[in-house]
Formats: sequence, C-alpha cells, structure tokens
Amino acid sequence: MMKPKKSAWGLTSLLLISTLLSACGVGNPSSSATTPNQPAKESGKAVASAAPVETTGLSGKLNVQLIGGFVEQDKTDPKTGAKTKGVYVLKEEFEKMYPGTEVNFVLMGWDSYNEKTQTMLQSNAADVYQLPGIATFAEQGLLEPLQSYIDQDGFDLNQYFYGQVDGWKAMGPEDADLQIYGLPFIGDTRVITYDKQLFDEWGVSYLSKEPTIEEILEKAEQMTGTNPKTGEQNYGLTFNKSDAADTVMNINESKGGKWGTGFLWKDMELEFNTPTMAESLDLLKKAKEYAPEGVMAGQGAEKFLTADNDVAINLRSAPGFVTDIRTNGTQDRFDAALLFINPEKKMGGMFAGSPFAIGKSSTQKDLAWEWLKFSSSDFYQQFMWDNYRIESTPVVKSSTEWASVKEIPQMSVVLEAMGRLWAPRYPYRSGQPRYILSENVEKVLLDSASSQEALDQAQKEATEWIGSQK
Amino acid sequence: MTSQGWVWFIFLLPTLLGIGLFTLYPMLESFRLSFTRGAEERYVGLENYRYVLTSGSFRQAIFNTFYIAFFQLLIVIPSGFIIACLIQSLRRGKNFFKILFYIPNITSMVAAATVFLVVLHPQGLLNYALSFFGIPETIWLANPTSARWSVILLASWHTLGFGIIINLANLQAISPDYYEAASIDGASRFKQWLYITVPNMLGSITILVILGWIDGLQRFTEAFMLGGHTGSPVRSLYTLVGFIYERGFGGLEYGVASAASYLLLVLILIFTFINIKFFRMKI
Repeated sequence: MMKPKKSAWGLTSLLLISTLLSACGVGNPSSSATTPNQPAKESGKAVASAAPVETTGLSGKLNVQLIGGFVEQDKTDPKTGAKTKGVYVLKEEFEKMYPGTEVNFVLMGWDSYNEKTQTMLQSNAADVYQLPGIATFAEQGLLEPLQSYIDQDGFDLNQYFYGQVDGWKAMGPEDADLQIYGLPFIGDTRVITYDKQLFDEWGVSYLSKEPTIEEILEKAEQMTGTNPKTGEQNYGLTFNKSDAADTVMNINESKGGKWGTGFLWKDMELEFNTPTMAESLDLLKKAKEYAPEGVMAGQGAEKFLTADNDVAINLRSAPGFVTDIRTNGTQDRFDAALLFINPEKKMGGMFAGSPFAIGKSSTQKDLAWEWLKFSSSDFYQQFMWDNYRIESTPVVKSSTEWASVKEIPQMSVVLEAMGRLWAPRYPYRSGQPRYILSENVEKVLLDSASSQEALDQAQKEATEWIGSQK
Repeated sequence: MTSQGWVWFIFLLPTLLGIGLFTLYPMLESFRLSFTRGAEERYVGLENYRYVLTSGSFRQAIFNTFYIAFFQLLIVIPSGFIIACLIQSLRRGKNFFKILFYIPNITSMVAAATVFLVVLHPQGLLNYALSFFGIPETIWLANPTSARWSVILLASWHTLGFGIIINLANLQAISPDYYEAASIDGASRFKQWLYITVPNMLGSITILVILGWIDGLQRFTEAFMLGGHTGSPVRSLYTLVGFIYERGFGGLEYGVASAASYLLLVLILIFTFINIKFFRMKI
C-alpha cells in the first residue's frame, strides 16, 4: 500500500500536470494548421490574380472566421454523392499569393452565431469575420471602416452586382451616414418558382419574368382544384409562413410602399400600417385560399420541386432550389421569375447573404484587407459556387459568364434578382419589430384580426419598442 | 482533519472551478446584465424588470407556459400512476412494458418533435386515426389552441415513462403485508387499490408534481421545434424560456433576457415552495 503522503502528492502532481497539458493544447482546434497533400488548384477553375507588388511584403498569421456548412477537409454529400472541397483550397491559394502568410480558419455553425461573433470580436479572436449581422457590430465600433482601403487600392466595387455593397452598409458610433464596413462574399436572394408541367396541364400560360401579384393570384386561382389531366388535387401556390411578413413587405414595395426610413434605432420610422401594407396583406390572405390547407403550419408543400409536385407556384424560393431540382431530376420542369420591386426605387425584397469585415482590434488589418479582396476574385467566388452552392450565390458580375452558371437556365433569373434587392437591408429586422410584424401578419392569415387592425397594432408595438431603445 | 486532509480538497478543485466558471460566474454576470441595456451595457436600474413585467409578450409566454405545463401534468401524473399499477399487477412481461414506456423518455426531444411534425401533418397519422371517429381533418399547428395541445401531446408522450418508473418504484415499496391482511379481511382488489395503494402513493405524486412544474416552467425544446422561435402560430407556443431565447439570441437584448431569466427563477422558487407546502413534503 502506498504511503498516504506520497500517494496524495503523486496524484496531485498528476492532476495538475494533466490540467496544464489539456489547457495548453493547440490553440485553435478548428483552425487549419495542417495542409492536406492535395493540389489547391482544380482543373477548370479560375486562378486568383497575383498579389499587387505593394502587398507582397505582408506576412504573418491571418485568422478567418466562417459560419455555416464550411468544412476544412473534403466531404461527400450523403444524399447526392456530390464531392465538396474543404476550405483548405482557399488557404493554399491565398498563402501562395502571399508567401510568408498563414491562414487559419475558425469554422462555426449558424447556432447562436451572433453571440459567438460578438465574443470573438471583443476578444480579437480573428481578423476577418463573416458578418451577416454587420449593423449590430458596426454600431458598437467593433469593425474597421473600409473606405480608406478601397480608395488606397482603387478597388473596383462595380465588380459586384448592383446593390450588393450598399446592402451591407452600416453605421459606426461616430458615423453621420452609412459607411462600408463589409464586402459581400456570399450572395442570397429569393425568386418566385413555378412548375411548368402543372401550368401545361392546366393550359395556363407561364409566369412572366416579372409577374405582378395580381398575375400570380389570377393564375393560381385557375390551377387550384382537380387537375384536368391527372385528376389529382392541385394547389395554385404556396409560401413560407415563417417569412410571410417579408412576402407582404415585398408586395407592399410593388405597390409603391417601403418598410420605413432611418437606420439606427434612434432615427428609425416604421411604415407598417400604411394603406399599401394593408392592401398587400389582404392580397396575401387572398393567396392563402389557393395554398395547401397546412400552409400556415409550414406543411402541405413538401413535394414542391419533386416529380410528385402538386403546387404550381412558390412565392419565395431560395437560390438553393437549383441544386434541389438537379438532385430530383426536375430541372426541366421548374422555372423562376423575379420578385416584386418598388416602381420608383427599382428594388425590392429582403437583402440577405454574408459580407466579410475586419475586426477593429485586428493586428493584421492590411492582410485582412487582402483577404477581402481575394474573396471577390473569380477563384474564390467560383470555389464557393462549385462547392457551397446550396448556401452561396455568387456576388460578382463575372459569374454570369461562368460555364457552370450558364448551364443552369434558372440561374440567369437568380443572378438578376441579386441586383434588385432592397439596399441597405431592412434594419428593422435586427430587433423586435421583425417579430412583432410577423406575429401580426400571422394573425391576419389565421383570420384572428383584420389587416388594418393587425398592422396598426404592429406599428404601435414596434414604435414603442424602438422608443425604448433610444 | 489530519495534516494531509487538505490535500484531498485539491481533487475537488476541477469541479469547484467548473461550477465557479460555468455556473456561478454566468449567474452573477447575468444578474449584472439584467440592470443594463444595449451593447454598451448602459445601467438602467430596474427598468428591464419593469419592461418585462409589463410586456404583453411576457404575459403571453406565462399563459402558454402554465397552460401547457398544467395540462401535461394533468395527463401524465394520473395516467402514469394507472399504467404503473397495471404493469405492477402483471405476472409476466413487467420489464418489457417498463422498457416500452420508458423509451420515449430517453429519445432526443428534437428527434421526437421531428417525428411529431409528421404525425401532426394534415395528412398525418393523428388525423388519419381521428377520421375513424368521424373527427374532421385538423391543421394542428395552424390554430393556437390545437398547437398548444400538440405540444402537450408531445411532452406527455415524452415524460410518461418517467412518471411510470417513479410510480412503479413507489408501488414496489408498499409492503405486501398490507395487501395480504386486507385480502384476509375480504377486501376486493379494487378496494385494496383504493385504500392501500392510492394513499401510499403521495410521495411519488408529490415528487412528480414538483419536478413536473419545474420542468414545465422551463419548457422550450418542444415549443421551439413545433413553433419556431416566435412560438408560431400567433405566439401560442411562445414560452418563458422562448421569450428569453428570442430576446437574448434573436435580438441581442441581453439585459431584458437576463431580467426575464431572474424573474423565471423567482417564479420557479415560489411555485416549488407552494407545491412543497401544499403536499407537505419534507425536504
């Protein structure tokens, strides 16, 4: 038997050593310290332009945070069998362009991404951040303004689709107006999708490229009922109940309305209860008559985009539908049309996607800026398109010429839609007004209130909440 | 304490550090945050507490939380007791039924809720079964009342096994002598159950009520899975923890979310105290 004193000290030492060792492990488990023995460049891919002479002196480590389905190593989609390259491809390309640099990725999921990003920004855990909630962080003074970098390099913002840079503009604590704090690298939009086969079976002409809500309702009404050819029950349209408020706002834009004015809470004026909003909500309520019974429960349109589909039109589809129809083998059956736009401002629909921004406390700001520029290159954008298509639509105009884009006919509509989104993005969606509007829109769609009544309530509640933020 | 006695406290250090860093510190930090507002953490005194207590959506969350918890317990506790009695009375296959009823309790709520989404589909299993009784098709998740009952159904299914196991443990603790004596005195099986079993079950029922209320007041996953973070439809599945989640993680209103968390803590303490007093539980 061991003597108590010796055994106690022995165990204590072991405990302390193991604690120290576990605490002093490799700094960032999710960062990519290792480089796979795989060529960075894929055949047929564009190559990023060489680094400018004045930046070749840059060196050191660059930490890049990415959110979503990004992976470090290659993976295979269990559903489609499609191969996805890991982000090491980007790392290798960047390090080749800037010898002496080392890129480390911090990859994380979408769960609580705002909180995680806030913590990272405050603790200087990365240099470059993917920031879909950019306005919140710019307002706190946590981000580096980019205008001086753009001016210094003469960086061409026209390479992005129209509105993509404006969409991410935000205001810092000292700013009097909107400034550039981030550059887009992941695009997102919504389009109207429809089933051409059902249109044919009902003898209804396809949607025009820019349909009005009235055209959609008229055609949806014609296609609701028993299909004259198959004898099955068909529905004229469907929509996503969780973003029904965004659909109402978009219809409102087509009627000449807008969400409101201002950007920061203290300056914000909402226009939730205008006559055009009430009219738009009534129109969506009318649309519900042509939707599956379960539409307000998010049910009934599960077969959309498949060969067994029974719904003619979807009012809002994410760009990922092009992947779905390819997987389902229905790419010839479904087509897309553009969302509604404000006739005066020539834009409409919720702006979305993700920009890259530089942390204010980063010690590698110049190198981080090079990464932002790199993210606009054809190499980067095409890598995203080839590997992460389901969650990323290109943001650069040159993508319209890529063979892989051209071979998908629906992409021309998707890319056109990218340049028509409402910019800057709806700022009211960063707080309670978003939820208040959704709740009241839902009340109308569930016949619990009239449109004007519900929107008046939404306006009152949201205005009170904004007042409490000042 | 011996001279080496203190050494052993070092072995508690990892646990104490864990509790300190991951439980005590966040609690204190959350308490501090509950008096602040905005990203700059501006001190606002009791304003967040006033705001939460006067907020319509918080009141809605309280109503939903209590409604779901009350009816869930009303289903789970009596049915758990009855099923436990039936299992106890079996001569064979006791373990099979114990396992069968307990399986839902060890199933991930997220996975269970996903299956329930299919069951509650307009063309789903539940409507199909109800159609045999002439009950018309219901869009369960599109109506506030039926949506709440969908959560009650899911939560009851998930926790019934726990209720059965606790009741079974209590049933097994009742001395067989009581039943033997009653049998000799000519008491029927029903009377034995009514006058021996039921009065001796107070302990398990008390613990189920207390734990059930604590669990019910913290309800989130079921409601979130079926109604999203706004508790759709029309906030009918918006619970107290849903309020905290939406304000904290949806809108970065950490001050308001922290104040709501502390109000929830107080609510749980008060309710648990009342339950203990009501059932005269000795702790």
